[in-house]
Amino acid sequence: MNVTICIGSSCHIKGSRRIVDTLQKLIEENNLEEQVELSGSFCMGRCVEGVCVTVDGQFFSVSPETVNAFFKENVLDKL
Amino acid sequence: MNKLWVEVGWKSINHVGEQLCGDHVEMAKYGRHSMVMVLADGLGSGVKASILSTLTSKIIATMIAQGMKLEDCVATIMDTLPVCSERGVAYSTFTILNIIENHTLEIIQYDNPPVIILRNNQPYRYLRTQIEVRGKQIMHTVISLMEGDCIIAMSDGCPHAGIGLSYNFGWKIEDIENFMSVQCTCGYNAKTLASMLIDECNKAYSYKPGDDATGCVIKMRKRASVNLLFGPPRDQNDSQRMMSLFFAKEGKHIISGGTTSSIAAKYLGKPVRVSLANPSGEIPPIAEIEGVDLVTEGVITINKVIEYARDFLNENALYEEWTCRDDGASRICRMLFEEATDINLYVGRAMNPAHQNPNLPITFNIKMNLAEELEKCLTAMGKQVQINYF
Repeated sequence: MNVTICIGSSCHIKGSRRIVDTLQKLIEENNLEEQVELSGSFCMGRCVEGVCVTVDGQFFSVSPETVNAFFKENVLDKL
Repeated sequence: MNKLWVEVGWKSINHVGEQLCGDHVEMAKYGRHSMVMVLADGLGSGVKASILSTLTSKIIATMIAQGMKLEDCVATIMDTLPVCSERGVAYSTFTILNIIENHTLEIIQYDNPPVIILRNNQPYRYLRTQIEVRGKQIMHTVISLMEGDCIIAMSDGCPHAGIGLSYNFGWKIEDIENFMSVQCTCGYNAKTLASMLIDECNKAYSYKPGDDATGCVIKMRKRASVNLLFGPPRDQNDSQRMMSLFFAKEGKHIISGGTTSSIAAKYLGKPVRVSLANPSGEIPPIAEIEGVDLVTEGVITINKVIEYARDFLNENALYEEWTCRDDGASRICRMLFEEATDINLYVGRAMNPAHQNPNLPITFNIKMNLAEELEKCLTAMGKQVQINYF
């Protein structure tokens, strides 16, 4: 599974750094390093909806507050 | 004309408790590739010293730039300086560095500490001829310059640093030579080198300088261009033209901005690889595109670069950050401030709809101001800057 987080200007200001940190931590805690690949992207063209995150190409709008729920629903439960 | 480039930088610290510096550096360019730089140290410290040194350096620099003879310049100084009411003398020591057509250096020294020349990072011993002007003994030197030469002039506040505190007899010239020859190997900008010298003096004075101290550095460099692409073009149909002009330029290439880097990646037919490793939380991570020397995020990174540039032009207190750190802004700073002598800015004027959100601290105007501000700062650093809008 590939999770890509936008780290462009707009998403950076909206907290993409914190989302990356949280996801890295969650993946480590759940020992998912082998199954989930985290990567970054510069601007997905949907800045208004940021922070932009895609899971295997499917688009999600995530914020630092919703990142835990997002991880459970769209990463953990789908593996 | 040759491929040499003269990079100049200086920094001063004031005598503790003084608001004015008794040392003054004045620079004047003349002809196509000639310049003169005068470092004057006025008697005492404070306002009197400041007036003496400002007058001395300004008069000499202006006269030499206008093609007057050295003897006439010195004689004018001796005749016009106001006389100190307490001491009964008009006195300001000075060092003149006159660079003629980028290849010859004429040094004139009157009572300041000896000028240090580093060639191949080693102290270079040069011949000094004593001449007499109006009863004053003046040292005169002419040498041919080579790429990599580093010329350091200073006021006596430098070798006197730390007398009785850190060093019994101050910071010896040989030790300053050794200190600077180590720093000179690292590719720092002349201003950074001057700051390092002065910061070291300040440290020796335990941050309470007993005299004004000034360091002035000239570095002979080879010209190098760096090109920076910032923002997508206003008209999408211009992308191809903007990219081909940008990539056709000689020298290194920096791309700043998310959308901009995807346009460039498409043009080159290579993927953008974004790294998630972030050495500084403040600046977004960098990316890689094969064929581009550096890819960074746009506005936040450039904003930081301008913050560093403004500091560089004033106090230069933050050089320890950008000369060492690994984030996008510091990397851009090193390429623009240290490596580049000629800079081409390619600025796209597209509006990013996401940036129009009033909750975000970026607007279209800010972006255009950033480009102009960056150009201004780089020009003030003495770089040859060209800006192209799309």
